[in-house]
Amino acid sequence: MNDQDAVALLRSLCEIYSPSGEEADAVNLLAHRAANAGLKASTDGAGNFIGERGDGPTSVVLLGHIDTVDGFIPPAVRDGRLHARGAVDAKGSLAMFVAATARATIPIGVRVIVIGAVEEEAPTSKGAHYICDRYQPAAAVIGEPSGTSGITLGYKGRCALSLVARQPHTHSAGEGQSVAARAAEWWTRFEEYCVRRNHNRRVFDRVDAHLDEFHTSTDGFTDRADLRGSLRLPPEAPVNELRGRLADLATGWGDVSLDNYTPPFLSDRKNRLVGALIRSIRNASLTPKFKLKTGTSDMNVVGPAWRCPIVAYGPGDSRLDHTANEHVVLDEYLNAVKILTCVLGSRLA
Amino acid sequence: MPKCLECDADVNLKADVEVGEIVDCSDCGTEFEVRSVDPPKLDHAPQEEEDWGE
Repeated sequence: MNDQDAVALLRSLCEIYSPSGEEADAVNLLAHRAANAGLKASTDGAGNFIGERGDGPTSVVLLGHIDTVDGFIPPAVRDGRLHARGAVDAKGSLAMFVAATARATIPIGVRVIVIGAVEEEAPTSKGAHYICDRYQPAAAVIGEPSGTSGITLGYKGRCALSLVARQPHTHSAGEGQSVAARAAEWWTRFEEYCVRRNHNRRVFDRVDAHLDEFHTSTDGFTDRADLRGSLRLPPEAPVNELRGRLADLATGWGDVSLDNYTPPFLSDRKNRLVGALIRSIRNASLTPKFKLKTGTSDMNVVGPAWRCPIVAYGPGDSRLDHTANEHVVLDEYLNAVKILTCVLGSRLA
Repeated sequence: MPKCLECDADVNLKADVEVGEIVDCSDCGTEFEVRSVDPPKLDHAPQEEEDWGE
């Protein structure tokens, strides 16, 4: 697969709108293109794309995702940049996986497996959960934007939080605090607690609290406040401590719950996979950088299960994720393909 | 055997170490990148950056 074919693959993939749950057409296109490029292509029971090359007892998994967030951006190339939904997050990485796997001189005894997972952008992470127990790779790369010279080693964790508060209906001319004022004070005090806890810590080690929704209602007898938000969690993931603090602040008047916990994950860097990436990035006359991300990815799902050397790597600037200005510089995409091609030709385990 | 660039202790390299691999000093814990195997040469490990997003 030459550079022109690699760019055409990415553009074709971006031309098919594939928000979470509607990936089938994009999966079929990728399977067709991958088979033409020499990979053994199929789909699995979750609807994930699977492309394989090489044969042997040692497997290397390249796990990307084929779904995008909502909002189609018609692909257009301007000034050497491909503007399209998914160009960065993360069809650029997935196309890079297929192109590099097709090009690489894969060592004897190694099978490279490219997976285009479905529903990574949905809370379900359906594709990653489906494959988690079906593979035990010796090394894995997650397809998410790190920039051509970046190697992502970790992602923060996440959980959803909610507060339901009720109290007897009060008249605004009467004494006492309204349920809305009480809930607002609860959130403010928790934010203050986070500020104190985060003092002198880097962003990756902080607890970040986000309030997304605040609703109040009354039936004339009981006033009610419903708050929903999320917490981004550092490696030590103090979920019990945070749950306790939130509950203490609402004692006697509110019910707090923390759900949909995704654990944080930080990978080891002293292994052949990281070494091969560093070597290949330097061979491309770039300076390698390690990255720690404030978001989450499928690394949070498969990293704890696979317990193998694992990083995230892919072209593009993650600040463009989910934006109307999403685009990838095509030269950087092609550089990333070359770098990963070199990595796949190395002994990784 | 290369020396630690921070504390001057000897840094042990595995026989099959490759260029690019990260190793650390067992005395002070500083991490280094193997820049050359023969002769062995170390440099400080790549910088760690924090980055928004996925």
